[in-house]
Amino acid sequence: MKKRILIFLLIGLLSISIIGCSSKVSTPVSKDVLDMEWSEVESAAKGSVVNFYGWGGDEKVNRWLDTVIAPALKDNYDITLNRVPMNAEDFLNKLLGDKQVGNEKGSIDVLWINGENFYTAKNNELLFGPFLDKLPNAQKYINLDEEDVKYDFGYPVEGYEAPYGKAQLVFIYDRAKIDAPPKNHIELLELAKKYPGKITYPAPPDFTGSAFVRNIIYDVCGYETFQTLEDGALENNVAPGMDYLRELKPYLWRKGETYPATVAQLNNMFADGEVLFGMSYTPYYASGRITDGEFSETTDTFVFDKGNIGNTHFLAIPFNAQNKAGAMVTINYIEGFEAQISKYNPEQWGDLPVLDYNKLSQEEKQVFDSIPLGKGGIPQNILMEHRVPEMPARFIPRIEEIWVQVLSKKGE
Amino acid sequence: MRERKWVQEILLYSIVFLLTLPIFILLIWSFTKTWPWPDLIPKDVGLRGWRYIIDPHTKILKILCFSFFLSLAVTFVTLLVSLPAAKAIGQHNFKGKKAIQIFILSPIIVPPLAVAMGIHVKFIQMGLADTFWGILLVHLIPCIPYAVRILTNVYEALGTRMEQQARILGANRLQTQFHVMLPLLAPGLVSAGSLVFIISFSQYFLTYLVGGGKIITLSMVLFPFIESGDRAIASALSLIFIAITLIFFLLINKILRTHLNTQDYFYL
Repeated sequence: MKKRILIFLLIGLLSISIIGCSSKVSTPVSKDVLDMEWSEVESAAKGSVVNFYGWGGDEKVNRWLDTVIAPALKDNYDITLNRVPMNAEDFLNKLLGDKQVGNEKGSIDVLWINGENFYTAKNNELLFGPFLDKLPNAQKYINLDEEDVKYDFGYPVEGYEAPYGKAQLVFIYDRAKIDAPPKNHIELLELAKKYPGKITYPAPPDFTGSAFVRNIIYDVCGYETFQTLEDGALENNVAPGMDYLRELKPYLWRKGETYPATVAQLNNMFADGEVLFGMSYTPYYASGRITDGEFSETTDTFVFDKGNIGNTHFLAIPFNAQNKAGAMVTINYIEGFEAQISKYNPEQWGDLPVLDYNKLSQEEKQVFDSIPLGKGGIPQNILMEHRVPEMPARFIPRIEEIWVQVLSKKGE
Repeated sequence: MRERKWVQEILLYSIVFLLTLPIFILLIWSFTKTWPWPDLIPKDVGLRGWRYIIDPHTKILKILCFSFFLSLAVTFVTLLVSLPAAKAIGQHNFKGKKAIQIFILSPIIVPPLAVAMGIHVKFIQMGLADTFWGILLVHLIPCIPYAVRILTNVYEALGTRMEQQARILGANRLQTQFHVMLPLLAPGLVSAGSLVFIISFSQYFLTYLVGGGKIITLSMVLFPFIESGDRAIASALSLIFIAITLIFFLLINKILRTHLNTQDYFYL
């Protein structure tokens, strides 16, 4: 008898909890942030907390956000920045879950995002916007017609994300060990023949390894064709690049039978002197590791004469952000001169600014030019002259598949 | 006979050596700046890894305390839930026992990824996502099977005679459980508790998904550094990770030993 009562009680409790959940009323949205004047947005953001979600695997990036941006936001706008380390795939999963159940009270206010993650987010309507042209600093400092700002891996941005910084693939070598860095893929092959087993690259789908393969394809075949290429024509167009990689293979580390799995592994091997060639998608990566004492003082950075791939990373606001005003004020501050310039400094982070040099005032230009780039860094103007756009995002997985097919063949 | 002892000792020391060597290497790496390949000792040392942990802006010490108490709470609740289940399975025969056993073990068989997304969606609806209680509940999923498994074996080994004896001698139900069964269970509780603590402490994906970044644990801080290959910081954080689980093990061992006054019966 006792047991039966208990069971009934439990069933009752469960059903109450289920009913309680489904009858939740969504709170009416107050005035839309996008219709507000900027001063209204700023006052709405005052005293709020902004939850900033992004990759947390770099000590410098974390420190820059925690000790430069967070205090500045507190002082200027009374905003508390809460940085949460989370990879893009993880917060996308979270947002997809929110979308599925219609959760309008999200926990994320700002996202650090780009490339195929942006593509996924925008396609699934996970983003709030368009907000980019509402930001005063975006109007003031950024060239909104620039390709790097309008497109994210070939996908139109349309104001749903704001440029945060620019990245570019660079190669790293040690002046004490190699006299002159290779200027193109042919010289790289010669170098590999001269030092067999001392050169390698991370295996795709590692992000940087995949970019290296694309960079080689660009260097062999030229980048222009790929920007407007039909889907079916990809195989034939990448074939010369793949032939080259196959030719390079026997001279690589462990004769190309295996590759480092991540760029982190490659650069640690470079630090340990096991290979002569490192790479990074962060242009001032080498300066940072020289300062940390992990790369030797004679480490230097180079790019190919025909250029290296570059991309832009962005900040976005999720559809269910609870503090959209705070998010916009935060992003606006990061778009500004002060934040961009401190981010450029390799001692802080060493990320390329998204500022348009021509829009800067005379004093601002001077400050910009006076930033010490540290050892082993290439000045921004040279990087920009050697910058080629990313491959359209939809080609990238296919190229990685072709790489596996071509390079894993036995007996070659 | 002497020779056998010799062999045993060599075996013992080599196992201890193999277990501690990686930890020792982590310790060296946490202080290392450069350690080129053929060198036996690092070329350049520094405190960068440890400074990152102490630096207040990283909030690592706060996160560390929180992770510890979260896993402590998970361990406590898991044991509380698992004890009756283990007792029923270990000491009684009933219809569908095999099915229930398999059902309890299913979280080990079915990958958590497969069910976690669904759980997350339900948790959002129930308002449990992004909360401490949500995390606690979701951590129970991978923990309970291990705890039940270990405690079932303990109950099986104990049998029902001790309990009956106590009851015959006049102890009531509660007294029997606390004064007779608990001390007998103590070694099993230590092993189950330690295992559960470690499982909860190393959860990454479930904490991420259900905690949504509102709840941050040590493994969530550690993982990005391993991924990005920052060996100094990753090593320092890993050492702290190991230290915490060791501290917990010693703590639970000590508490159960002194309070329940037991000797080694059997460790599983």
